[in-house]
Amino acid sequence: MEDGKLSRWQMIAITVLRVAVGWHFLYEGIAKLSSPSWTAAGYLKQARGPFADLFKWLASQPNLLANADLITMWGLSLVGVLLILGLFTRLACLGGIGFIVLFYLANPPFVGYFYSIPTEGSYLIVNKNLVELCALVVILVTGSGRFAGLDVILHGLFGRRTPSR
Amino acid sequence: MAGDDEKVKKTPQTGAAGPRKLDRRDVLKGLSTVPALGLFGYAWHRQRQYQQARIEEAAAAPVAAGDVQEINVALLGAGAQGQVLTDAMLRIPGLRFRAVCDVWTEYNQKRVVNSLKKFKHEVNAYEDYREMLDKEKELDAVVIATPDFWHSQHTVDCLKAGKHVYCEKEMSNTLEGARAMVTAARDTGKRLQIGHQRRSNPRYLHSYEKLLGEAKLLGRIVTINGQWNRALTPDLGAPDRYAIPEARLKQYGFRDMHQFRNWRWFKGLGGGPIVDLGSHQIDIYSWFLGVNPSAVTARGGNLYHDPATHEWYDTVMTVYDYDTPVGPAMAYYQTQTTNGSQGYFENFMGDQGTLLISESDAHAAKVYRDPNAPAWDTWVQRGYITAPKVQEVKEKAEGVTDVRESVSPDEHKVPIVLRDPVHQPHLQNFFDAVRGKATLNCPSEEAYATAVAVLKVNEAIEAKTRLSFKPEDFTI
Repeated sequence: MEDGKLSRWQMIAITVLRVAVGWHFLYEGIAKLSSPSWTAAGYLKQARGPFADLFKWLASQPNLLANADLITMWGLSLVGVLLILGLFTRLACLGGIGFIVLFYLANPPFVGYFYSIPTEGSYLIVNKNLVELCALVVILVTGSGRFAGLDVILHGLFGRRTPSR
Repeated sequence: MAGDDEKVKKTPQTGAAGPRKLDRRDVLKGLSTVPALGLFGYAWHRQRQYQQARIEEAAAAPVAAGDVQEINVALLGAGAQGQVLTDAMLRIPGLRFRAVCDVWTEYNQKRVVNSLKKFKHEVNAYEDYREMLDKEKELDAVVIATPDFWHSQHTVDCLKAGKHVYCEKEMSNTLEGARAMVTAARDTGKRLQIGHQRRSNPRYLHSYEKLLGEAKLLGRIVTINGQWNRALTPDLGAPDRYAIPEARLKQYGFRDMHQFRNWRWFKGLGGGPIVDLGSHQIDIYSWFLGVNPSAVTARGGNLYHDPATHEWYDTVMTVYDYDTPVGPAMAYYQTQTTNGSQGYFENFMGDQGTLLISESDAHAAKVYRDPNAPAWDTWVQRGYITAPKVQEVKEKAEGVTDVRESVSPDEHKVPIVLRDPVHQPHLQNFFDAVRGKATLNCPSEEAYATAVAVLKVNEAIEAKTRLSFKPEDFTI
């Protein structure tokens, strides 16, 4: 890296990260879509922390819950596809961050909270959700889609024509 | 983000020189991660194939395909329990789903039909079970998981249409209804199994046949206690867009969508937690003791819920008397629906040992040998029970051990684990019986006796007195 610019290998590494995060999102979405009786109700009912009441309330409203289920299943899948393809990458990052913020807040590993699930791993403040969120922030700010991804083509076709430097 | 844009454009790889245009490099870079999506698709496909192969393997394993007579099955009642039974049936070889019937066509019916499609069962969907019986002539068996107050009519009509029936417990919310079912099974000669699935659970069968029957580990059983503590759960709802039109709800005996979703709490529709939950376990009391109760005392009430929205008792505590061939016994049972601590189990205490057993793996099954009982070495050697867990002798940190305290009994585990869904062995037993290769583990006469014992609890609560049973109450 020189003068704040990212080297080719650094950009490749971030692109690999983007595809990996996208893969995870896509599979989370597809796995839910292919399970006929999946619902977020269980997760929401387990909610703890400062926003627990809000999540539990959401679980108790059948209409809202049905919408939340659909948005989660399709949203995760869509974010996953976009991240893998590098299409509308920043929008996808923001969408993904939005989902993870919600998942994180539903079960935040803050001081003093103890969980029966997840049973794997040990977390304090930082959990895997937060790490994945940070990964999305990296992808967001480095414009990985315009390095390798359909955004390159989009940008080439519709991007502002700027004088060469 | 403007700064970032700049950075990206500055990197030589973006090739942004002069008026922007796409060159071959850009297109290649643009498409560079598309193969990852293809790889994902491939991996996902393989994963699906693997899951499908496992299902088919499980379905084909126990018997060679040619040996098994295929049974045409319909599901009547596609709610949560219908789904559970369907999931278990999909693991049983030689079944062909032909039809699914449910009045909630907007949701439940669709869900089960779709989940069956995934397993290559093309089924016809019905709202009216009579139409299903008229049209589906090739059906051999119907599995019924409708609300309790429909069980009798559904079962009797299916039996009379020449179908074998597996009906969920409680076999009926009324004894008249239950009697009609037993009579119809006798008249038609068709198999009728009631869904007290512990009767086919290997853990319970092992305990009944080996531990109580052959080894007589408990000696004489004098007391039983059991419970099903269930945590508070919010009422079930339904999204407005899936609501059943009012006319159809009324046609099938429901006041509104709330009552349809929460029928278990309503008088005339279900029997409340003592019937939903207690029935499974009180059934085991009589089975293990070998006799039906002689009397029942019970207290119950809406201690937590509002009786206007939850008509049946949320809390019940009951005591049964039994006159067994070897002497009297008493059995306590409680169910409450506010706190799920310690879950559900049945605990049989005899003069030589104790059996703690549960369908749940949280308790599984353990036997405790009273220090005065004969040695159990033979049974450990035969593998009926595990070697005892050594009880540590603890010096009490404070105070002096009370010499009147009994010595702790040895704890042995019952080494039987059920890896399948809990309903699978019972359904398997039913289909084996349909094929003439087994006898039913819970025929309607047995379930009727349980219904007599269990439905009497609600009566005893209202009567506020001890109610007696006559032996003829349990027979038809």
